[in-house]
Amino acid sequence: AAAAPRPWRLFGAVCLLRLPRITQPLEKEEEEMAALMGQIELEKSQYSDHEIRKMEEEEQLRRRKENIYDDDEAPGKTVIMAQDLEDKWEQKLLQFKAAPRITDADKNNNRTSLNRRLDSNLMFLVKQKIGNQELWLLPQVEWQPGETLRSTAERAMATFLGDHVQAKILGNAPYGIYKYKFPRAIRTEDNVGAKVFFFKAFLQSSDLSQAELKEDYLWVTKDELGDYLKSEYLKKVNRFLLD
Amino acid sequence: SKSVFPHALCSFFFLSSWLPQTVPFRGSHWETSLLAFRASVPMRAQPKKKKKVDVKREQAQKDRMKKKIKKLEKAAPQLIPIEDFTPLLKYSDSNRLRSLPPLSFEETERRVLLMKKWCFFKQKQDKAEKKAIQDLVEAQQEALKELRLESEELYQAAIRRDEGLFPFERDGPNYTPPLPGYDPPEGKCVDITKVYTQ
Repeated sequence: AAAAPRPWRLFGAVCLLRLPRITQPLEKEEEEMAALMGQIELEKSQYSDHEIRKMEEEEQLRRRKENIYDDDEAPGKTVIMAQDLEDKWEQKLLQFKAAPRITDADKNNNRTSLNRRLDSNLMFLVKQKIGNQELWLLPQVEWQPGETLRSTAERAMATFLGDHVQAKILGNAPYGIYKYKFPRAIRTEDNVGAKVFFFKAFLQSSDLSQAELKEDYLWVTKDELGDYLKSEYLKKVNRFLLD
Repeated sequence: SKSVFPHALCSFFFLSSWLPQTVPFRGSHWETSLLAFRASVPMRAQPKKKKKVDVKREQAQKDRMKKKIKKLEKAAPQLIPIEDFTPLLKYSDSNRLRSLPPLSFEETERRVLLMKKWCFFKQKQDKAEKKAIQDLVEAQQEALKELRLESEELYQAAIRRDEGLFPFERDGPNYTPPLPGYDPPEGKCVDITKVYTQ
């Protein structure tokens, strides 16, 4: 309590990530290797029951064609052939339609939607007024004495997304820091600049209908961050973002 | 009483006419009179036996059981067979072997080269992952250093362990996103795994 007050103002910011919902496409080497593994597995395997049944039935068909009066099998018996089963399964597969990997939001490039770019992380950006500028930033609020930085980050999330957002902040420690000095016009002895501490959080549920979104917001991937964030800020943010 | 009297006479006659026919049926000397049946025939009652013999017999039985249990315990516990490792007999049949043409020289060469490329690809991937983790740790250390300069108590709060973080669960990414309104077909799963006890 007797320490001199530091001239830096503290802010807590949260980097809210929506984790990927589908797998990323395979690289060329990965695809080649997967094909090779399949081939080796086939070569080292033995015939399964289904395959043996199929081979035997083909033999029978062939013998029956060559030798029409073959009385081994009673001709009145209707047997389901393995080939018929395979055709039936193929039909069933073709009837099933899976959800598309590239969604409508992808095609419209609707950056406010959460359904875009399902195979990568999406980060939450808001437009905030700092000084007299409107900037795109990770949501941040000023730290108030009496709370830990993590609770500042949680407050930042609640301010911009409402109280009902389900997100898990990973740990008590900040992931990165962005330090800047105020422009000379407003710089004073005990108000030199600000330090913004970043926290990371994972979005648990994708249902944001209850969120009260007031300001302009965006959900962007790591490579699109450069379109919105300033270069110095971007450099510091990129340090703690994995792709 | 007048109505009772002839009844009694009748019953007496009945008895007197009945008795001579039942006298030869008196099998054992325990049946003194048929009317007093239950009182005359003694049941094979336990209290008649001596208590010491019982106790001895039970003790002997218990000792035998204990000996058997000790023998079983002394024997080494049998290993539980792993069913995945023992191939079933029906798969050792020779007609099961695949008949494929042997690999050509080009094919083996291609495979070897592909394996080498894959090795290099995986090594690059691993190095990149490790570097990314290293960068993360460095960024965090820098942030914590700055925080410490600011305020000691905030720093202490930051380096405290987060209890609610683990166990961390997440449904992994699938190949296609979930289909809205999909009704999966119903079915029952019967578990037939064999459970072995030692």
